[in-house]
Amino acid sequence: MAATLCSKLLPKQGWLPLTQSVRHGSKAVTRHRKPLHIQKQKLLAVTQYIPPAREFPPGAYPSQTKRVQEDNDLTLLMKRELKKLFEDCKMIAVVQNSSSSAEDMMTLRHLLYKHNITVKFFPNKVVRSFLSDSIYCNMGPLFVGPTVMFVSKEPKVKEMLTTLRGSPQMTLLGACIDNTLLSAQGIVSYSKLPSMTVIQGEVVSGLSMLTSHTAYLLQRHPAHLSQLLQQYIKQQSSDGSAEAAPKAEEAT
Amino acid sequence: MAAPSKATVVLKAVKKITIQFCPFESNVRSTREFLTLVGSEKARTTNMNCEVIPVVKHDKSEPIVDITYVDGEKLLMKGANLTCSEMLSAFQSRCVAKDPQAKVGEKK
Repeated sequence: MAATLCSKLLPKQGWLPLTQSVRHGSKAVTRHRKPLHIQKQKLLAVTQYIPPAREFPPGAYPSQTKRVQEDNDLTLLMKRELKKLFEDCKMIAVVQNSSSSAEDMMTLRHLLYKHNITVKFFPNKVVRSFLSDSIYCNMGPLFVGPTVMFVSKEPKVKEMLTTLRGSPQMTLLGACIDNTLLSAQGIVSYSKLPSMTVIQGEVVSGLSMLTSHTAYLLQRHPAHLSQLLQQYIKQQSSDGSAEAAPKAEEAT
Repeated sequence: MAAPSKATVVLKAVKKITIQFCPFESNVRSTREFLTLVGSEKARTTNMNCEVIPVVKHDKSEPIVDITYVDGEKLLMKGANLTCSEMLSAFQSRCVAKDPQAKVGEKK
């Protein structure tokens, strides 16, 4: 379709060529790649982008400067709430729920609310940044994946365990009871502990056992002596009465 | 970190899955994510007889995923150095191999 005619410019001035033609007659938009003009080719070759030489691929080493992100207001609010929570509640348990439907959650929350245990959800990032600043930094690795927090003012571990046994998909990871971090087995053994009064009674009895033993040892000899004397008196009195009885019989 | 493959986990050929880990270790992330995927409602509805048992320990042991199939075969995955997607792909490839009919039926 392109017209290929020779282009000849007549040397004399003022003469318009009779025939005008374009040599390389392809249009601007072609199906093949149009060869670039030599000047454009040169320019592109000279201005080609050469990336800086890297010694190692970009993701191989962690970046040296850690960008500290400022907390936005919601994060600050949540941190304040977390702080209050940690101060108020004696028991904070961390549970992973791999799945539970809304109804399961509702029933679980209802059962736990009867024992004054509240269920709290917080984003993991916020919790971990808060914990790393506070004294509870060792709880940090617990908060990975879908986690839920059970908080309560009183450490009601037995009831919590029985409730959790009813829902198989909740996994108890750990708990912070009375500012002590406990693992799953620790929680179970904590629940098996007897109450404070019983323990106090046991301690008191254990301490007083030694002193009572010492007192018994000291009193053993005089006690033995008094027992022997009493026995002797009894024998004497029974002999005496036995003698007196036949004498009385003889007399009468 | 993102959830691997869009395909739901099909547990038809699986009898029991035991996942044990120690949550205070730092290498349990992938195992916990695997537990989340396998223990989800969708996965459990594919086979109600399959038990998913998480065991939480505190003895610095490695995280282990123990899968028992219906035909008795066992698959043991040590998740300390595996990512969640690797574990899932290994698990799913074996499931599909065991139960291709169920998979083909689903696709159709």
